Amino acid sequence: MGKDGVMEAKSLKNRLQIFLLLLPGIFMFAVFTIYPIGKLLFMSFFQSGYGSSPADAFVGFQSYKMVLSDRTFWVSFENTLLYTLVTVPAQMATGLLAAVLINGLPRFQVGFRVIYYLPVITSWVIVSLVFKYIFNTEGMLNYFLSQVIRATEGNIAWLDSRWGGLTVAMLLGIWKGVGWNMVVFLAALQNVPKALYESASIDGCGAVHKFFYITLPSIKSTTLFALVMLTIGGFNVFTSIKMITDGKPMHQTETVLTWMYYKAFNEGQFSYAAALSFIVAVVLVFLAVLQFRTMKNRDEGD
Amino acid sequence: MPMKRIRYSELLMYFALSLGGLVSVLPMIYMLSTSLKPNGALYEYPPHFFPSKSNITVENYIYIFQQQKFYINFINSLLVSVLTVALAAAISASLAFCIARFRFPGRRMLFGLVIATMIIPGTALIVPQFELATFLHITNKLWGLIPFYVAWVIPFSTFMIKGFIEGIPRDFDEAVYMDGGSVFTVFRAIAVPLSGPAIASVSIFNFLTAWEEYPWALTVINDNAKRTLPIAIAGFFGEHQFTQWGYVFAMSVASLIPVLIIFICFQRYFVKGLQTGGIKG
Repeated sequence: MGKDGVMEAKSLKNRLQIFLLLLPGIFMFAVFTIYPIGKLLFMSFFQSGYGSSPADAFVGFQSYKMVLSDRTFWVSFENTLLYTLVTVPAQMATGLLAAVLINGLPRFQVGFRVIYYLPVITSWVIVSLVFKYIFNTEGMLNYFLSQVIRATEGNIAWLDSRWGGLTVAMLLGIWKGVGWNMVVFLAALQNVPKALYESASIDGCGAVHKFFYITLPSIKSTTLFALVMLTIGGFNVFTSIKMITDGKPMHQTETVLTWMYYKAFNEGQFSYAAALSFIVAVVLVFLAVLQFRTMKNRDEGD
Repeated sequence: MPMKRIRYSELLMYFALSLGGLVSVLPMIYMLSTSLKPNGALYEYPPHFFPSKSNITVENYIYIFQQQKFYINFINSLLVSVLTVALAAAISASLAFCIARFRFPGRRMLFGLVIATMIIPGTALIVPQFELATFLHITNKLWGLIPFYVAWVIPFSTFMIKGFIEGIPRDFDEAVYMDGGSVFTVFRAIAVPLSGPAIASVSIFNFLTAWEEYPWALTVINDNAKRTLPIAIAGFFGEHQFTQWGYVFAMSVASLIPVLIIFICFQRYFVKGLQTGGIKG
């Protein structure tokens, strides 16, 4: 057995069995994930042929140039970035707060867990429609704002403007994401040794002190995990935008993936869409590496 | 004196959590209450949060349940989700077990790929995957959805289960080998049963992923009879000139029921499966 705990199978029979266990996973990976990634790269450099010239033509970086000089791409990129920058910290902070509170409860823990998790298990299509209904110009929210608490004069056309549409999508993203963060942080909190808190109490530390000096440092790897997963999720936003605004007005609320989808399946520009997807993938890998590095450096700085 | 302070802070905690809980469920309750209103009253002004007592009706549900296509879509979704969960659990557990326990050529690269593919969002690969599905002649086929869903959920599932298996003492494996057991025996008798909470917890995620998946099914399925529920609901939404919110929400509530049942049955695995899984501390 090696120092990392893995061991080498000695007998042929066991080696064969390991191979058989690995085979289905590697097959699925190779065919349905790795091949499409390669194909994506290939498609981004070739223009697919039509009718008289069916062969794919090599176009080099032309599709990338088209993407990067497309104003709508930049609008969609800004929207996606804004969505991620707003929804990720908001979900994490609210989810962590809920987890800390629930973790401190003597009873009803399960009840709150289920309630907070409800939006997570409800499908994106459904919650998007519910939000679209609530934020409808003649909908419940406008009625509440203008007639009940009289905070606004008249109805706001939430879904008819770039910032209005994005606001609704972001509120939905936060609302739906809190439960996942709550469960992930709750799992981490329950792993923090109770002795740490007890000794801090003896030293006379208050709840706020304990949170910043014990809880936060102890759940650092979970925070990183949530941060990376949610950033990916933020860039993956698709269904809510598609259902709520469908990019309207005039593609002002597109996100990178809804715009990619539109270019591919409404305009048939597969090469453009492939280049766009690849740019998104590169940005995400870059962000993930950056997040890991930052957290690691902070560890070493301690 | 200290007793009183504790109770006060506890009350505050319950209050804050209840407020958050209210925000969580309010849109869901609104959906439910709208589904119980007469379909014609949906553009009422001023809008009412709850239908008035004399107005409560189940006509939207009757309409939905009388349509044969609802059952077809429902069964389609159930079939795809259950098969996705089963295949993903088997494949991911095998991968996770091998990566956690054995040295083999390409082990580090394989785990690196698992992590790397977690980073790339599924929808970003929709164009080449569409080409692949066309090439394999599995577009517009219900079962054609499954391999793609399985491939999407394998990285995260493998990552979580691997973390869990690493927490199982190796002495258990050793005891089985001593008794003359093979790799398969350890997998079946130790790894699978003891990583049950992790497998259960990722399976709930995977069921949900397949149950609610929208962009891919929208892209590859054309026939009404092969649609899954999310596509049917979204289609219902777009199909009429002005939206029949009552029908849409009745259908949404009906499609929520299986997920709710599964979640409530398995919710105790949820935190446990995450706890000792890939994320520690």
